[in-house]
Amino acid sequence: MSSAAVPETAGKSIVDGYSAQELMTVVMARELRSSDLAVTGASSLVPVAACLLAQQLHAPDLTLILPSGVVNPPPGRLYRSASDGRWVTGAEAVGTAYDLFEMSENGRLSVMFYGGVQLDRHGNVNLTATGLRPGEPPRFRGPGLANTSFAVVSGRIILFSAGHSRRTFVEKVDYVTAAGHLDGGTSRRDAGITTDGPVLCITPLVTFGFDDEKCMQVRSVHPGVDPADVVARTGFPLRTDHPWQLTDAPTETELHVLRTVVDRTGELRATT
Amino acid sequence: MTAAAGTSRGRSPARTSKLVPLEEAAALVRPGALVAIGGLWFQNNPSALVRAVIRTGVRDLQVVAAPPSSYAVDLLIGAGVVSRVYAAHVSFDHLGLAPNHRRAAEAGEVDIVECDEATVLGGLMAAVEALPHHPVTSIAGTELTRTSSLAARTPVDGLGEVAAPPAMRPDLCLLHAQEADQYGNIRHFGTPFCDPLFAKTSGTVVVSVDRIVDNATVRAEPHRTVIPGYLVDAVVEAPYGAHPAASQGLYPHDEEHLNAYLSAGRTAEDWRARYLRPWVLDRPDSADYLAAVGGPDRLDRLDEVVA
Repeated sequence: MSSAAVPETAGKSIVDGYSAQELMTVVMARELRSSDLAVTGASSLVPVAACLLAQQLHAPDLTLILPSGVVNPPPGRLYRSASDGRWVTGAEAVGTAYDLFEMSENGRLSVMFYGGVQLDRHGNVNLTATGLRPGEPPRFRGPGLANTSFAVVSGRIILFSAGHSRRTFVEKVDYVTAAGHLDGGTSRRDAGITTDGPVLCITPLVTFGFDDEKCMQVRSVHPGVDPADVVARTGFPLRTDHPWQLTDAPTETELHVLRTVVDRTGELRATT
Repeated sequence: MTAAAGTSRGRSPARTSKLVPLEEAAALVRPGALVAIGGLWFQNNPSALVRAVIRTGVRDLQVVAAPPSSYAVDLLIGAGVVSRVYAAHVSFDHLGLAPNHRRAAEAGEVDIVECDEATVLGGLMAAVEALPHHPVTSIAGTELTRTSSLAARTPVDGLGEVAAPPAMRPDLCLLHAQEADQYGNIRHFGTPFCDPLFAKTSGTVVVSVDRIVDNATVRAEPHRTVIPGYLVDAVVEAPYGAHPAASQGLYPHDEEHLNAYLSAGRTAEDWRARYLRPWVLDRPDSADYLAAVGGPDRLDRLDEVVA
């Protein structure tokens, strides 16, 4: 379906192009606040870069904690492994699993980032398994999640996905590894969870927000992306009764700071 | 001659060294044991120890690992020596899924106990506190509360029924750190993560380190001792003993080697033929292993090539 009378013009990039990961980083950084205590997880190059970029641009007091417990690693070189020991050099503190445990039990963190093997329309995250049959092993076993609890206690959740396909974006996850809005509506609150849950989801094609029923809807489509493609590659229905907004392309300043301060070795531009 | 007379001549009794050879330490792992694996993801995996444990032929191990785990846990599963795993997350991080963990789970060959950091840490906290269980409130509303044996519920004043992971007391833990003296004073250069908790909760504590330092070096900076010697039973000198994982502060993970592991891991047969046999079973000599992965010349320069 072609639907959605979206401006066809799409992206004029500012500094001869940018990678999908750079765009996602910039978009995510704009959502972060100076008061945030942010914790990142596995395979989280984009969220880490976004936190470091936000610190440089508008959120100088943001605290970034890596899943290894490293507090406020310095900007400069992005390491692809979430727990890379080289993040320690120049960081402000080195915590332990016990520090992360304290953080989850006391709900100290304000924003957590999750990707998923599956993400559903209510923002639930599956990293555990798909093809579950009672009494049988799963058809596909994922990595699992170290911090299920962070989805419960974190002030808000920002979802992201390196890819955008019907395999990832499904109507309902096979297993709720990290609680999003569960069955939508008030079901998260009804389950006794008092935090905001997912507030947006950033993909290479769009930024999703959540409507009143806590269903994912396109908040803005990225420059150069065909809305029909978004609909075709999303495994749940999207509202197309009014034109989608266009994501603001990265500004010259955002890209400049990203490339010269946060990611000097160009990891976000690398193809793999 | 009395003991008093002996000391009066200035001859104090010798303090006992905890240094043991790699194979001797590996032999401490008995069949059926619950073994804790230290480090996290690609950091501080007790890799040399785990390879040596596999070579002993021990079977039927239960494994608990830091909530994010990787190579060492996947290697044990692939070698067929594990019957149950308590590991919240097992992956090769940005490089991909853990092939043997995935395969064993999909075949139903290993009991993968659903858990997360809160449930594993809760169990360790209970052991630290010498209590039967340690309630955790943070997993309320998640599927874990319905599916995990670690999430049995108990009433807590003012909170109603709360998930309460039972005490987790490993029979033995295998850790890797950067430095220790011969008395088992352990120094981590980066995050110790779960290692101190494993050391406090395990019946036997075995630590490999890249290098042994003098006791005087430890005493010069006592605040740098992360796990004091009274908690430690055995220290193994294992230069590059975390490889292909990283030893925080000394060398990063070896991405080329890990990718070769993953590539071999596409089928169980391939992995056994191209990884388990050549890198573990047929390579018992540590110096031989080190030479085969490029030696210090290559490993000391990984920072230049690993992104």
